[in-house]
Amino acid sequence: MANIAAQRIKREFKEVVKSEEVAKCAIKVELLNDNYTELKGEIAGPPDTPYEGGNFVLEIRVPETYPFNPPKVRFITKIWHPNISSVTGAICLDILKDQWAAAMTLRTVLLSLQALLSAAEPDDPQDAVVARQYKENLEMFQLTARHWTSMYAGGPNVNTDCDSKIKRLVDMGVDDHQALVALSSYNWDIERATEQLFS
Amino acid sequence: MEDTMTSSQGGESDMDCSDNEYYDEYYYTLNDDIDIEQIDPRKIDPEYFEFNCLFEEQVDRLLNETVETLSNMHQISPSLAKVLLHSHQWNIQEVTRKFKENPTQTLIASRIKPPSPPISLTFSRYINCPVCVTSQSFDKFYSLSCAHMFCKDCWTMHFEVQINQGISTSIACMARECKVLAPEDFVLKHLHRPNMREKYQQFSFQDYVKSHPELKFCPGPNCSIVVHSQEPKAKRTTCSQCKTIFCFRCGCDYHAPTECQVIKKWLTKCADDSETANYISAHTKDCPKCHICIEKNGGCNHMQCYNCKHDFCWMCLGDWKSHGSEYYECSRYRENPNIAHESVHAQAREALKKYLHYYERWENHSKSLKLEEQTLEKLRSRINQKVMSGLGTWIDWQYLFTAANLLAKCRYTLQYTYPYAYYMDGGSRKELFEYQQAQLEAEIENLSWKIERAETTDRGDLENQMDIAEKRRTTLLKDFLDV
Ligand SMILES: [Zn+2]
Ligand SMILES: [Zn+2]
Ligand SMILES: [Zn+2]
Ligand SMILES: [Zn+2]
Ligand SMILES: [Zn+2]
Ligand SMILES: [Zn+2]
Repeated sequence: MANIAAQRIKREFKEVVKSEEVAKCAIKVELLNDNYTELKGEIAGPPDTPYEGGNFVLEIRVPETYPFNPPKVRFITKIWHPNISSVTGAICLDILKDQWAAAMTLRTVLLSLQALLSAAEPDDPQDAVVARQYKENLEMFQLTARHWTSMYAGGPNVNTDCDSKIKRLVDMGVDDHQALVALSSYNWDIERATEQLFS
Repeated sequence: MEDTMTSSQGGESDMDCSDNEYYDEYYYTLNDDIDIEQIDPRKIDPEYFEFNCLFEEQVDRLLNETVETLSNMHQISPSLAKVLLHSHQWNIQEVTRKFKENPTQTLIASRIKPPSPPISLTFSRYINCPVCVTSQSFDKFYSLSCAHMFCKDCWTMHFEVQINQGISTSIACMARECKVLAPEDFVLKHLHRPNMREKYQQFSFQDYVKSHPELKFCPGPNCSIVVHSQEPKAKRTTCSQCKTIFCFRCGCDYHAPTECQVIKKWLTKCADDSETANYISAHTKDCPKCHICIEKNGGCNHMQCYNCKHDFCWMCLGDWKSHGSEYYECSRYRENPNIAHESVHAQAREALKKYLHYYERWENHSKSLKLEEQTLEKLRSRINQKVMSGLGTWIDWQYLFTAANLLAKCRYTLQYTYPYAYYMDGGSRKELFEYQQAQLEAEIENLSWKIERAETTDRGDLENQMDIAEKRRTTLLKDFLDV
C-alpha cells in the first residue's frame, strides 16, 4: 500500500511543479523527506480577500493508505478564519474528511484550501470564536484577518491602530501572540481583552 | 417463519377475568387452553406488544424476502434492490411508488446512477489508472454506472481501506465529486480475502438492521438477537436469549410511562447533578419519634422503628397511618404558588428543591428494587429450607415468587413515573397523574410490607394486595402511557 502512496506522491509532486498555478506563484509543494510521507505546502492568499499578499505554509502528512485516505493537512502559518483553528491550524474541509476521493490530488487539496480562504463556511466552523465574529461583524472579521495576515503571513496591510493596542498589552507583560488572540476575540476592545488576560 | 420464537409481553393484567393467580408466565403455561381469545389484549393491557426474537439467519431471510420481491417487481439486480431499500428504510411500498413515478430520478436519488449520463472516452487498449497512476490493459478496469474507470487492484484496496474503517453500505466511487455507491455484488467481486468479505457482510448487516424501523438489535451484552416488531413503538421488549428488558424504540432500559426523549433528558440531568443529589444516598435515617438511628435493609418504604415501634414513611418521615389513608401525598411535589414573584436566587433554590424531590423518589425506588431483590434471595433460601423439611413443595410456595416479581414490575413502573411527573406541566392532568401515582405508591408499599412478612401473611390477603397493586399500575399506564 505504501508503494502506491509513494508512487502517487512522486507523480503529484511533478504535477504541481509543472502546473500553471506554480507559474503564477499561487501554490507550491516541497518534499521534506525521501519516503514521500511529509511535505510542505504553500498557498498564496487569494486576491480581494483579507489574506491577499500573504503566504500560508501548510503541513502535509501522507498516510500509508494514501490515496484511499486523504492527506492530513494543517496550517503552520497562524491564520484568522472560521474554518481553521486559530490555535492549532486544524482545518475543517469536507474533502479532507468524508468527501475525499482517491482520484483527488495534492493539487486539488491546495486549490480547495485556497478556495476556502476566498469563501469561508461559517456554518461549519472549526473555530467558534472566529465564526461568530464573521457572522456578527464581518468588517471586524476582515480587519482582524488582515492584521493576522500582516503579522504571520507577510501581508502588506499593517493596521497601526491594532499594532498600538497590541503594543500596550505587550508592555503589560503578555507576549504579542497572546495579546493578538485576546484582542481579536474581543473585537479589539482593549479593556475586555485586558480583563480576559489578567483574570 | 415457523421457527421464530414468538413471545409477547403483557396480557398479564386481567382486569376482566378476576381470579387468584395473575401475573406470571407460570400461570399461562398451565392454562394455555383456557378460552380467553374474546378479550383483545391490546385493549386490556396498555403494555401489550407483539415481537419476535430472531437469529441472524432469520433476519437475513426476512431482509432477503423483501429484496427478492423488489428485485422481481422491477427487474433489477438484488444488489441494487438492496441499495434502494436501504436508502428508503426498507419501505418497499415507498420505493415502488417512487419508482413508478420516476425511475431515473429514484435511481439517482438512491445513488445508483449518476445525475448526468456518463461519457466514456476510452477506446485505447491501455489506460492510465488515475489512482495508482500505472498504465494497464483495458480489461483490468472496472467502473460503476458512472463509468469512472479504475484498475481492479485499486478497487480492492479502496474497499479494504473503507471496510477497515467500518464503512460498508456507503462506499462510493473513487472519482472526485462522484456520489455513486458501490453495490454489494460489485464490492464482493473485488474482495478476495475471506476475512474482508466476512467483515463487509457483517457491517452491512448492521447497517441494514439499523436502517430498518421494524428491527432492533438486543442491547444485551454479547447478544446477537435482533428483535422484529411490525409495530415499532416504545414498548417493553424482553430478549428471549439474554432476558434483557428494553424499550423497542430507543433500545434503553424500559421507561413507561415516560417517553424516550424525556427519559434521555432526565438521565442526562441526573448524571450532571449527581453531586448535588448525592447526600440522599445515605442508607440511614433517624426515627422521627424516638430519634434512634434506623438502617433501611428492605425495599419497603413503610418503616417500623425497632425501638419505639413507630410506623413512618422512609421518604418523607411522615406518620405511616396518614399515608395509608385515601390521599397519600408523599409522592406529590407542592410548588410554591408565589414563586414567580420571588428573586432569581429563590427561584433557583425552588428549582433545585423540585428536582431533588423527584430525584430522591426516583433514586429511592431504584434502591428499593435492589433491596427487594435481596429480600427475594433470602426468601428463596428460607423456602428451600421449608421444602427440605417437608413443609410443602415448591409449587405451594410459588405464589410468593409471583408476588415478588409483580412487586418488582410495579415498583419499576413507579420509579419511571417520577421523571414523567417532573417534566409535566401543572394542571388538572398532572393532578390526576399524581393522584394515581400516589395510589400506586401506597399499594406497592403495602405489597412490599406483606411480602417481607410473607410467611405470616395470609395467602389470600397477599393475592388480594397483588391484584390491587397491578390494577393501579395498569390504570395509570392506560391513562398516561402514550405510545
Ligand atoms: Zn489503479
Ligand atoms: Zn464515479
Ligand atoms: Zn439479548
Ligand atoms: Zn424508549
Ligand atoms: Zn423510634
Ligand atoms: Zn412519605
